[in-house]
Amino acid sequence: MRAFEYAAPRTLDEALAVLREHGDEARVIAGGTALVTMMRQRLVSPGYLVSLRDIRGLDRIEADNGGIRIGALATHRDVETSPLVRERLPVLAETFRRVASVRIRNMATVGGALAHADPNQDPPVTLIALGARVEICGTDGRRALPVEEFFRDYYESALEPGEVVIGVVVPQLAPASGAAYVKFLPRTADDYATVAVAATVSVDPDGERCRAARIALGSVGVTPIRARGAEGLLAGQRFGAELLRGAGEAVKGAVDPLSDHRGSAAYKREMAGVMVGRALTRAWDAALVSARGTR
Amino acid sequence: MNRKIRVTVNGTARAVEVPTYRTLLDCLRNDLGLTGSKEGCGVGVCGACTVLLDGKMISSCIALAVSADGHEVTTVEGLAGDERLHPVQQAFIDAGGFQCGICTPGQVVSAKALLDANPNPSDAEIREWMLGNLCRCTGYYKIIESIRAAAQRSRA
Amino acid sequence: MAHRIIGKPIGRVDGTEKVSGAARYSGDVSVPGLIWGKALRSPLPHARIARIDVTRAKALPGVLAVLTAKDLPGILVGRRMFDMPLLARERVRFIGEKVAVVAAADPDVAEEATTLIDVEYEDLPAVIDPEAATVAGAPVVHDDPGAYEGAPAERPHANVQSVLRFKLGDVQAGFREAARTFEHTFRTQLAHQGYLEPHAGVVAIDEDGRVQVWASNKMPFRLKELLSHALQLPQEKIRVNLTPIGGDFGGKGSLMDLPLAYHLARVTGRPVKMVMRYAEELMAGNPRHPSVITLRTGVSRDGQIVARSVRALFNSGAYAAFKPAPSVSLGGASMGAGVYRIPNLLIESFCVYTNNIPCGHARSPGEPQMVFAEESHMDMIARELALDPAEFRRRNLLRDGDHLANGHHLEHVRAGDTLEAALKASEYSEPKPGPWIGRGMAMTHRHIGVGFTNAVVRLGTDGRVTLRIALPDTGTGAHLVLRQVVAEVLGVAMDDVEIELATTDDFATDSGVGGSRVTHTGGRAAYHAAEKLKAQIEAEAAKLGVPADSLAAIARAAAREGRTLEASHFYDAKAHGAVTSFTAQVAEVAVDPQTGQVTVRRFTTTHDVGTVINPLGHQGQIEGGLIQGLGFALMEEIKTEEGRISTLSLGDVKLPTIQDIPPLTTVILEDPVGPGPFNAKAIGEGSISAVAPAIANAVADACGARILDLPITAEKVYFALKEKERRP
Repeated sequence: MRAFEYAAPRTLDEALAVLREHGDEARVIAGGTALVTMMRQRLVSPGYLVSLRDIRGLDRIEADNGGIRIGALATHRDVETSPLVRERLPVLAETFRRVASVRIRNMATVGGALAHADPNQDPPVTLIALGARVEICGTDGRRALPVEEFFRDYYESALEPGEVVIGVVVPQLAPASGAAYVKFLPRTADDYATVAVAATVSVDPDGERCRAARIALGSVGVTPIRARGAEGLLAGQRFGAELLRGAGEAVKGAVDPLSDHRGSAAYKREMAGVMVGRALTRAWDAALVSARGTR
Repeated sequence: MNRKIRVTVNGTARAVEVPTYRTLLDCLRNDLGLTGSKEGCGVGVCGACTVLLDGKMISSCIALAVSADGHEVTTVEGLAGDERLHPVQQAFIDAGGFQCGICTPGQVVSAKALLDANPNPSDAEIREWMLGNLCRCTGYYKIIESIRAAAQRSRA
Repeated sequence: MAHRIIGKPIGRVDGTEKVSGAARYSGDVSVPGLIWGKALRSPLPHARIARIDVTRAKALPGVLAVLTAKDLPGILVGRRMFDMPLLARERVRFIGEKVAVVAAADPDVAEEATTLIDVEYEDLPAVIDPEAATVAGAPVVHDDPGAYEGAPAERPHANVQSVLRFKLGDVQAGFREAARTFEHTFRTQLAHQGYLEPHAGVVAIDEDGRVQVWASNKMPFRLKELLSHALQLPQEKIRVNLTPIGGDFGGKGSLMDLPLAYHLARVTGRPVKMVMRYAEELMAGNPRHPSVITLRTGVSRDGQIVARSVRALFNSGAYAAFKPAPSVSLGGASMGAGVYRIPNLLIESFCVYTNNIPCGHARSPGEPQMVFAEESHMDMIARELALDPAEFRRRNLLRDGDHLANGHHLEHVRAGDTLEAALKASEYSEPKPGPWIGRGMAMTHRHIGVGFTNAVVRLGTDGRVTLRIALPDTGTGAHLVLRQVVAEVLGVAMDDVEIELATTDDFATDSGVGGSRVTHTGGRAAYHAAEKLKAQIEAEAAKLGVPADSLAAIARAAAREGRTLEASHFYDAKAHGAVTSFTAQVAEVAVDPQTGQVTVRRFTTTHDVGTVINPLGHQGQIEGGLIQGLGFALMEEIKTEEGRISTLSLGDVKLPTIQDIPPLTTVILEDPVGPGPFNAKAIGEGSISAVAPAIANAVADACGARILDLPITAEKVYFALKEKERRP
């Protein structure tokens, strides 16, 4: 690695001040799994690292208006094993469980992973489907935006210079709703997804028809995406093979995958269609269980 | 851009001056002389560099030494007691859980962390926990047997 | 004969050092004053080096030396064919070729300095594809390969490194007899051995000028010879110290960075360590050759093979230097004959220069490639003949007295027994549990290796026995096997036999580890040395009038007379014997018709082996090789684009994980007829090669998709299924 300066401030304000002072030279580091790897590969060589690790309180996972607020420094493993997350949003715990290995999940933080903006990651997909918002803090104050608007391009987020992710707020699922995350891993069990899909489905009180659905995909382009076209096809419809096929076709038209060693663009497009069907099936099943519970 | 850091390594307080870019792995191996932890892939995938930071497994090859300042690190050298190997280490010997041994420090550190967290893991739980520790020699069958045996021995 | 120790599943009693982190691999070696070397590598597949400017690198604080080709003698290195410069001279021939090397006290500073070396290149036309490399007018990788030391004489094209031929009968006449003829072409991928210890080495020059070497190299004496040649030093000036090796799988026999470490040590006066990063392993290690293999087989009306011709093209990359066989080729090509009696056979194998990573040896060199092609071909023929693949094999299996492609005649042929045992254990003939599930089989055989090994056995005055050898521990469990052999012969406990590792100063020569050799040659050396010591002990006991098991007393009595009870043996096996080891494997797979994903539901592996000396270690070899075969079949691939490797980490080249292994059934058919001690054979290379074709054949059985190129990815199966839908 190339030489750099390193600071580990104790407060967020201090961290923001150091960031402002060092401008483009500075990078924020949290768990470091992505950044240190890229620095070792000399893909990035920042002159100044600002570690957030010593800032207290940024790692909390807490109830928030019926939903859950996750601090940026919470690790993937924290989210996966949080009793609160497991109880209220099991799909989120399951999504984080699918990331890499326990060891990496012990290191990688929620905020760091979002800021890394790698389109092949698991958590953003489910966060988008759940309608989560990312909380950002800069010297000019705080702002929040939907996770689906946070990713701008390949490894590029909406973070402005001097801003850091401080947390993510995930709303609770509506009543009579279900969610599912499907990670397609045709090679080894520790790989990034070839295609990943998260879906939420809300059904009528009688469970007959879909009231609303949200669908998000990862590894199908330069950012994780939301498949609004497919979502629109589902509202008011009964579950069935034809409907799933239609949603799959809509998704295939919406994705723009990159060819890589996990599959060609053509194959990933096909698999996006298949995996959307699988995710919707599981989410719908979960919604029916939920609807029966509320009746 | 050197930093003086204080790290408790295998129960002993150590102070060492390192460049900020020093990985925890290189610090352990080259500055502290603890060469048990190995660099395999260098990108956090293979697990040969696994150590415990405050009791949790991490990849020391992609951790900065400065980030361990003020924390506790356990390496493979810290598992055995004065006279006796840790039950996990003994089980890997008895059940053929290693061949060349290069991944073994990471395997036994991870397996120890597993049994600390879950003394009675199912095979599925072993496979989930150990997913990040690659082994090219054994094909894993005897690693699973080793961990099963270690769990059994710890319970006995 | 019942044994006390042979055949017992003894755990790795040698393993305390490995589980405790105390074992010192070459990358762990530290000597006072140690500094680090790092190489700069070419970013281009083929270019002329117009200019190298090291000024900025030399100016970086902490840099102790920067060397380029002009600072080094114009030596070419290799294992058999000497065609590789220490650093690129005037021309680079692959992406990853070393162009300059830096020394610094801090490894990160050394690496930083490599980025400050300015190299000006002029592009040359590159040749990437092995088929394109051998046509007239193709860009030439080496101007005059025939002039290199060790170059084979036959050279049909300037880009051909070597031609290897196996011939039985009259192949043209054979094809004229055939009722039907089948031809298929297969391809296999570039694949790394996957050892998790990247190449590492330390070179220190003593005050008296002796060169001390610690290296991940499994053939210390050959390494000494090669270093003597590369460094232009007499062999006595070099000592190779043995260290454990963190995985070999065929890949740890080359010089790699050692000559550069020596030259850095020479100019700096400091000991130098060089450790490759895994990215360097993937761009410039010595991986398994990719191949293009065409088989043509003529079959009689009753399903007997009457003729076969095989043409194999191995993409060897930019240098032949990494291949150790005198043929400068891959012996695995002979497996084009499979495990079958083929009266008229011609195998022609070409190793071809291209502007890619130079390839070397990997566990059973050439065999996983050839066996995939050959055993897939067998199933495809059986299907065309409407014969059960097992039945088609049965009709053609080798029998006692038959000859292998390389001319060796065989006895104790148990190909049929091995096949039947695999079919039975796998329930091959039972109804399949559901749709999209298939079963496939494949067979192979592997020789028992030959070579020459030293053993010295000494009785200590404490009654304990020391076995002195110069075989590095590559992880195969060989040290344990040799201890078992000595303990068995001398009638002592395992714990009373310890290994003492020699250096290259201690013996004249030794062929080291590799080629499924050590249980045979090391085992026999240890066996005979122990027998000699036993005779000495018995003679001493008779002289003293004490029982022969009073070992300590006997040793002490000899010591009082100034004698040490010690015996040595140099065992030299030159030619392969008449026995081999057969393998039959059956895969049961499920194919997901929507995605093409292949799941191996269960796997059966059956081995015809000699006396099993240590069942635990024996099984470990089978399992490890098999999972390497599984990775080769389904997952692993170093991808290249125009000579540039796009998968430069183990995050991209995927090795199987603990969650990727199938339920496994192993059947051992023990037959004590091997040349090893207590009639042992070999096992280390027996389980890898048939895995891919067994899975490919199972996939075809499950869904009708025949995959002709490895790895068998979900994507390939998916599009093959789509193609089948379009053209049923």
